[in-house]
Amino acid sequence: MRATGAGGPNPLVKFASQLWGSIFRHGLPSTDKVAARTALTNFFLHIHPVRVKKSAIRVSYTLCLGGLSFFLFILLTISGLFLMFYYIPSVDQAYQNIKDLQFVETFGLVTRNLHRWAAHGMVITVWLHMARVFYQGSYKPPREFNWAIGSILLVVTLLLSFSGYLLPWDQLAVWAITVGTNMAKYAPIAGPYTRYVMLGGRTVGQGALIRFYVLHVVALPLIGFILMVIHFWRVRKDGFTGGL
Amino acid sequence: MATVVGNGGGSPNRPNGGGRATVPNRRGVTGPELATPPLVVRRREEEETVVTFPSLVFREFLAAMGITGFLMLVSTWVNAPLLQRANTAITPNPAKAPWYFLGLQELLERFPPVMAGVAFPTFVIVGMILTPYLDKNPSRRPQDRKVAISLMTVYIMLAVAFVVIGVFFRGVAFTWQWDRVLGHPGVNPGT
Ligand code: HEM
Repeated sequence: MRATGAGGPNPLVKFASQLWGSIFRHGLPSTDKVAARTALTNFFLHIHPVRVKKSAIRVSYTLCLGGLSFFLFILLTISGLFLMFYYIPSVDQAYQNIKDLQFVETFGLVTRNLHRWAAHGMVITVWLHMARVFYQGSYKPPREFNWAIGSILLVVTLLLSFSGYLLPWDQLAVWAITVGTNMAKYAPIAGPYTRYVMLGGRTVGQGALIRFYVLHVVALPLIGFILMVIHFWRVRKDGFTGGL
Repeated sequence: MATVVGNGGGSPNRPNGGGRATVPNRRGVTGPELATPPLVVRRREEEETVVTFPSLVFREFLAAMGITGFLMLVSTWVNAPLLQRANTAITPNPAKAPWYFLGLQELLERFPPVMAGVAFPTFVIVGMILTPYLDKNPSRRPQDRKVAISLMTVYIMLAVAFVVIGVFFRGVAFTWQWDRVLGHPGVNPGT
């Protein structure tokens, strides 16, 4: 909303207009050309191509699933950030922190719920996204490598969810992780060591909590984010498969 | 709106995303040829395109708002579970993995641990990564992909079935029980 016409000497209007123009190089697109320029010069929009095939953006084609996975990732990052303000990864405090989030902190309950349900949701959308890519044969050349990156993203998504599961430090958390990490034990030779490294000990205790915490809030989101950037870059470069 | 060539003032943004119309993606075409697809050879009348902004961006926005609203609603009404404080002395029965790993836990019930815990998952993950390299069929039409589609469908159905069994039908000591579904009392609420 440029202050068009209001060319009066009002310095406030002038400043507002300069400020707006310095951030957004273009107004709302009136022609295709302006629309193209908008997309090209806006950081958040430039991950998109300027034009897309009409068939490729039919909702029935992508079902929005890749995009929704990414959006849930952002939602999880934001809600997770708020949870981090209150959560201390210590076996003595973690459980009480979660209780406080539920019963004391303003909006603590809904933030925690949101984080939890979005996490489950992301596991589902990533899975469905994988299924849609498969059924449409979108993994075929030249997109083989992007499928491989996607596969790793699926694993990262599962690990993110799994590592978060332990953090509330309630009976559900600790025993689910006990069962989950017991599975790693069965690998020949490496198994018991793998489990020991995952847990930082033989049982699920403080060592496991801090490891899972660091993985959950730093390592895995970072890995996931980098992989997503590559994933999107390749979607751009390889082009969208488009309708059948 | 068919002429889109030259859009963007020589920027590397390919208006059309590139694709099948130009370089026939046949097996055996590798490396550099794939890396430089459409810029040069592109038929003028390809598929109809629309500008990303606002057409696509608007849809993305709607989808994002939709799912945010939905999750907010769910989060207002359904609370995330929180049981008693962790106590390593008391093992809940049944002890279950998170739902997306219940398929694995189900396999562990049925197969020797080395197979269920190690061999199967490794096979699935490696198999998934290698899928595009193993599937040499160039066609994307469902009619031509009967085997691939059948295999995937069987896999998905098994995976979903195992998760459903794990969540709803596995009771004390992870044995099969109808209680949860049929609503009999006396079952330990595991998850
Ligand atoms: C965190 C997880 C993931 C995110 C955020 C993500 C995001 C996206 C997005 C936004 C697209 C654009 C098209 C669409 O919206 O469907 C896309 C395309 C694609 N994804 Fe993913 N993805 C993820 C996981 C996966 C997985 C698990 C696979 C497969 C194993 C995969 C394989 C692909 C392929 C091959 C394409 C290109 C499809 C085409 O050109 O039609 N991705 N992804």
